[in-house]
Amino acid sequence: MESLDATIWKAITLLFSGDKELWNIIGISFQISTSAILLALLPAVLLGFVLAYAHFPGRRFLISVFNTLLAVPAVVVGLTLYILLSRQGPLGEWKLLFTQTAMILGQITLSFPILVAMSHSAFQSAEIRAWDTARTLAGSPIRSFFIIMREVRFGLLSALLAAYGRIIAEVGASMMLGGNILHYTRNIPTAIALETSKGDFAQGIALGIILVSMAFLLTITLQTIQGRGALAHE
Amino acid sequence: MNNSPISQIQFSGITKSFGKRKGKKLIINDLDITLTGGECTLLTGKNGSGKSTLLRILSGLIKPDSATINTGLQSLSWKQARKLLRKQVMYLYQEPYMFDGSVRRNLLYAVSGANAKQRINRALQWADLEHRAETEAKCLSGGEKQRVALAQAWLKQPLVLLLDEPTSNMDDYSRHITEDLLLSFKKSGTALLVASHDPNHFYRVTDNNLSLIHGELINKPIELNTDLPNNVSPFPNKLGQH
Repeated sequence: MESLDATIWKAITLLFSGDKELWNIIGISFQISTSAILLALLPAVLLGFVLAYAHFPGRRFLISVFNTLLAVPAVVVGLTLYILLSRQGPLGEWKLLFTQTAMILGQITLSFPILVAMSHSAFQSAEIRAWDTARTLAGSPIRSFFIIMREVRFGLLSALLAAYGRIIAEVGASMMLGGNILHYTRNIPTAIALETSKGDFAQGIALGIILVSMAFLLTITLQTIQGRGALAHE
Repeated sequence: MNNSPISQIQFSGITKSFGKRKGKKLIINDLDITLTGGECTLLTGKNGSGKSTLLRILSGLIKPDSATINTGLQSLSWKQARKLLRKQVMYLYQEPYMFDGSVRRNLLYAVSGANAKQRINRALQWADLEHRAETEAKCLSGGEKQRVALAQAWLKQPLVLLLDEPTSNMDDYSRHITEDLLLSFKKSGTALLVASHDPNHFYRVTDNNLSLIHGELINKPIELNTDLPNNVSPFPNKLGQH
């Protein structure tokens, strides 16, 4: 086994050498996670909005369900979808197991509760007066919804970044649903798991650097935007 | 000027209670009220007497236990009336909510269609807020926020304008400006209902005085506060017509 210094140096060299296989894994990762978040975003934000402002039987129960789902491990989501999508499962006919679509479904399932719970909190942070005023001024419910969305945009952005951070780094569901197939379903976390088990730490560290850099970038972006929002209120 | 063919909305038998079974509390009991274009009604009553609840019912924001609504043209169910009320009645909070952004942006939310920029400029001029157009609306004083809300109402041109304690915590100058703006609404044919715990306010504007006591409305003669210097505003009236 190489020394830690040598491994890190090799990882950095690998990153900047334009290694096709490495960048293909990174590309697949971002493609799948971005598709999942884009598909989950609108329905989740709408649901968060409804849970914040509409009063209907079972509303509190639904809020509790989504808060509970925040704590469900990725591997349990992977297992549940695996059972549903496997050949003998109720959705086996769709032949989705070990495809990118299955990985997207897994990541939607993981990100949805985060988006719902955090957007619900964001909408709740706006006073009921805000919604009443928007309804009075805007005329249509759709225009009112967009006014309120703008009002809680920092909270919604936090939800988006938290959900994206969760799914880009999860390994359990991606491994079970994607099968870790090279050039097709191998993403950053599954590649790190595989290369580490093979003893090839350099590629694992290179991919880890990408994940940590992205997490850092997301945090900095969020802090900058929230800082601007806070300054605007001063 | 509001272009609606409706000039009057009659509410009959409004009843509203909160709570369930044993804890049920009757707030408004079989109350009738008529809001007529160009008239201002002052609604007085102690804190907690149900003034705000009544205003929120009249604006369609909360559903009464029972009520009949008549526009002079037709009688409406609550479901039909709610749509009309949302469109024709505007409710202004004691401290109006200001959205993130400038005063101009807050006015933009009240405008749709062509000539938005010109209409917003006219509204700013009308409410004497031109110098505040680019100020962050959340940072305005209570009186200025109230004027922004009135400018929004001026842009929306509702048939009925409901105001909940609009001049509480205001100094005399802001109160007079607000009253001048309300007079302008009256002249343009808007029906005004102003809730206030102090009957001495709004004597320049009001035509009728109703008092909400134990959930029921009682007609009261308008009381003038003779301690005040006169009925004429000491401040120049800058207001234009719609």
